[in-house]
Amino acid sequence: MTSSNRIADRDRFDWLLAAAVVAMVATFARVIYFTPIEARQGAAQKIFYVHAPSAFIGLYVGFGLVALAGGLYLWLRDERLDRIAASSAEVGVVFTTVVLLTGPMWGKPIWGTWWTWDARLTLTLFIWFVFVGYLILRGAIEDPATRARYSAVLGVLGALLVPFIHLSVYLFRTLHPMPILLKPGRPSLPSDMLATFAMSFISLSLLFVALLRARYRLAETRDALEAEDSADVSSVASLHAQPVR
Amino acid sequence: MPDNAIFYHAAYIAAAVVYGGYIVSLAIRTHRANERRRRQQNRSTVHGRSAGQS
Repeated sequence: MTSSNRIADRDRFDWLLAAAVVAMVATFARVIYFTPIEARQGAAQKIFYVHAPSAFIGLYVGFGLVALAGGLYLWLRDERLDRIAASSAEVGVVFTTVVLLTGPMWGKPIWGTWWTWDARLTLTLFIWFVFVGYLILRGAIEDPATRARYSAVLGVLGALLVPFIHLSVYLFRTLHPMPILLKPGRPSLPSDMLATFAMSFISLSLLFVALLRARYRLAETRDALEAEDSADVSSVASLHAQPVR
Repeated sequence: MPDNAIFYHAAYIAAAVVYGGYIVSLAIRTHRANERRRRQQNRSTVHGRSAGQS
């Protein structure tokens, strides 16, 4: 199959994305109707099932992949790696946006405040700005090679914040609770809640993969358009460059 | 047990709006890019044919 046929097929129904949406709806239903309410925090604790997996996938997987693909791009100069990095950055920003919206909605009833400038929250907001900047930078540079190189460097440097975000609850005094799953030893959750968390984690991972694939395909189509446009421009320029007789 | 269900309802609505909105934006952008690509391919096929005929 040629690349043009592949791109022409792209308007077809995306089964992976549809499966991810169905999994998300099932997860939301399980959270709302079949998961017990935590005694001390009340119903607001259920925000955990969307907040924590979105944070793990968006920050650790999404921005980690930007750094990995960006670093490999700087070494191998393969444009597919640049597409993976750009797609992962955009999807990572979406996941982190959910984290930054749901966090304050959990904080208000439990901490008594929507926001506090402690290390975990501030660093998460900071990395969100870095990767929004990454996307703006990509939109501002026309030359594909320069765009890929600059954004790879920014992606690698931006993702260096991820370990600090993870360790911030140990390194600084913070209102944010310690990890209850990503820690040495057994998770501190009852089995019902752990099962809901696992379901949420799996469906959000599926959503991440489906969105990454869809965004990668969009990047591929845009690159093909850009290449064709620049070929048109150079052929017109060469026609103008010919001497008139 | 504190009555704070409104916060979790709001959080799940916000998450659904952000994820759903992104899926819709991706679908629209992909459709537009595919349309542009199709037009570009049709144009180059027509130009190729007329160049071949001349």
